[in-house]
Amino acid sequence: MAAVSQLQRQFIEYTTSLYNEGYLDDQYTQLQKLQDESNPDFVVEVVSLFFEDSEKLLNNLATALQQKIVDYKQVDSHVHQFKGSSSSIGAQRVTNVCIHFRNFCEEKNLDGCLRCLQQLKHEYIQVRNKLEGLFRLEQQILQAGGSVPMMESICTSASTMSSSGKLSA
Amino acid sequence: MTEGLHGFSSPRADVFPAGLRVLVVDDDPTWLKILEKMLKKCSYEVTTCGLAIEALDLLRERKDGFDIVISDVNMPDMDGFKLLEHVGLEMDLPVIMMSVDGETSRVMRGVQHGACDYLLKPIRMKELRNIWQHVYRKKIHEVKDSESHEGLEEILMMRNVSEQQSDDGYLFCGGDMTPGSRKRKDSEHNKYEEKDFADHSSVKKARVVWTVDLHQKFVKAVNLIGFEIGPKKILDLMNVPWLTRENVASHLQKYRLYLTRLQKDDLKTSSSGPKHPDINPRDATDKGSEPIKIQQNEAVSSHRTTNNLIIQNPKSTIHEVDIKGNAALQTIKPKKIITGYAAKTGISHPFESTHYSQFNSVLPTQYSWGGGFKEIQFKQENNNHSQFQVHNGCFTGLGLPAQQTTSIPSFQPPDPVIGPTWTLKQDPCTEQTSINTINNMERSPFLLQGQHCSSTTVDHQNKGVTEFNEQEFTNDALKFDYDYEYPDLWEYPVVGQGLFIV
Repeated sequence: MAAVSQLQRQFIEYTTSLYNEGYLDDQYTQLQKLQDESNPDFVVEVVSLFFEDSEKLLNNLATALQQKIVDYKQVDSHVHQFKGSSSSIGAQRVTNVCIHFRNFCEEKNLDGCLRCLQQLKHEYIQVRNKLEGLFRLEQQILQAGGSVPMMESICTSASTMSSSGKLSA
Repeated sequence: MTEGLHGFSSPRADVFPAGLRVLVVDDDPTWLKILEKMLKKCSYEVTTCGLAIEALDLLRERKDGFDIVISDVNMPDMDGFKLLEHVGLEMDLPVIMMSVDGETSRVMRGVQHGACDYLLKPIRMKELRNIWQHVYRKKIHEVKDSESHEGLEEILMMRNVSEQQSDDGYLFCGGDMTPGSRKRKDSEHNKYEEKDFADHSSVKKARVVWTVDLHQKFVKAVNLIGFEIGPKKILDLMNVPWLTRENVASHLQKYRLYLTRLQKDDLKTSSSGPKHPDINPRDATDKGSEPIKIQQNEAVSSHRTTNNLIIQNPKSTIHEVDIKGNAALQTIKPKKIITGYAAKTGISHPFESTHYSQFNSVLPTQYSWGGGFKEIQFKQENNNHSQFQVHNGCFTGLGLPAQQTTSIPSFQPPDPVIGPTWTLKQDPCTEQTSINTINNMERSPFLLQGQHCSSTTVDHQNKGVTEFNEQEFTNDALKFDYDYEYPDLWEYPVVGQGLFIV
């Protein structure tokens, strides 16, 4: 039991930091709420879809920007798609890079676009790693016989967590 | 709630809005999954689709299988706005658009194309919870206008149900409804109740729902006789006893508008649609031989309101062409309403009036359509074949046999083909063609397109038509709604020729 509560605390701290650092936003919370007994792996499934889609989009972007004559409309459309899918799971930092990326596309600024692509890759990999870490923690908690704390309560009590260290589930 | 995802389920008014049959269209797999889950949580019956074409096929297959459609704006195979118009025209279902892009211009376009709502991603559950209001609203309006007892019953049932539920919370709502909003809805229901009862007793003009079948009949009839002949003839041909001339006339309008919109969208997106190298839209205004499409874009700004598209044409004068072949021109003031349907079909904007007057003046001389047209036509056909395929997907549902649709590139090519034709023929063509179309099925669709292309002189009647007719443009061409007022035959030919008489 001690192991479980420890894991849970870890989970809460980790999640809170992700929200605070802007890796995830409220949309992720919404996803958590959608998960239920009929669909216990909903969040993981959705996030996996996002990973798949993102990798495809990043490849498409790289290809599009490598063309001799860059089709900025095409690039913009990929970024737009990426913006949409990253917003679906609440990957806020990724979404923000997309916004800047689109501006460079409009200006047909190749340099800016290439830099954004790098940034996008970076943010994507970061959020992917963070989420994978989160899922691992969840698995550990479940395996130890505990339940995963709900995001919402974690977020709202983020400020009080540090002081009380209590679990709010 | 019935989970008839694969079956043809019928709406269950007794538990409304639970069981609302929603079709979600989005090419983003992540969002599709999330939306499906959210809608299911609202107790709706969800069907998902990753492509617009698929969605249209589904909708056509299950004619009464859905209550509402939610679609993303950006999709790879078809513009979300086009899908929107198709649905509005063929199935008359409420459509909600979604996008991660909330720019005012986009939202405006959505509304113009007929969306009943525009949601910004990321979408929340609470936004989806309330989509039933659009279905309800439509039903209310339908019942008000028609003598349909079925609709009335359904509405009453819905109302009763919601009233019963008002105290307990909404059936579909997981408890998110605040007392305040609940109250609001109750009073709204009460309001409807009183109004509806009063209205039901006074029978208003019956509102026709243009089902796919009906629309197909309409298209066939239009193909046969063309737009110029008038709704009366179309009505006769359709042989639907309860349908009135007014119904046909207004549907015709919508159809034409739709085609025009398609054209406009094609131009804008420049993704599909015939791009005939020889035709430069920008020159249209000068020569009048340019595809009308161009003129349309420049001259017309259309705003769609509910079911009607009001086209404001700054260059208001349109010279009407005498159908009889006389080049007499009348000025046509823009006053027509064009539905997006016309635009969708990619018909060069015969429906947009703007510069037609210019056409008329240069009519006979500008194009040597006779030969050129044919060439262009064929060229377009080939070129547009692939483009057309997409439209084929759209149009086959409209009742055209598959084989026919393939030859319809006309919609796509309309630009080059139609443009010039309009200018050339206008009068003689239109009338001639229409007559011919009556005799020859193939010709009709192209009233708009075929006729005009072939003759180089105003008096040339239908010479070019035959060429076109073979193209089978007609079928598709007629699929749109044309707004034009009868008995202004002028407008028709003008429209056909790419003039949109407004």
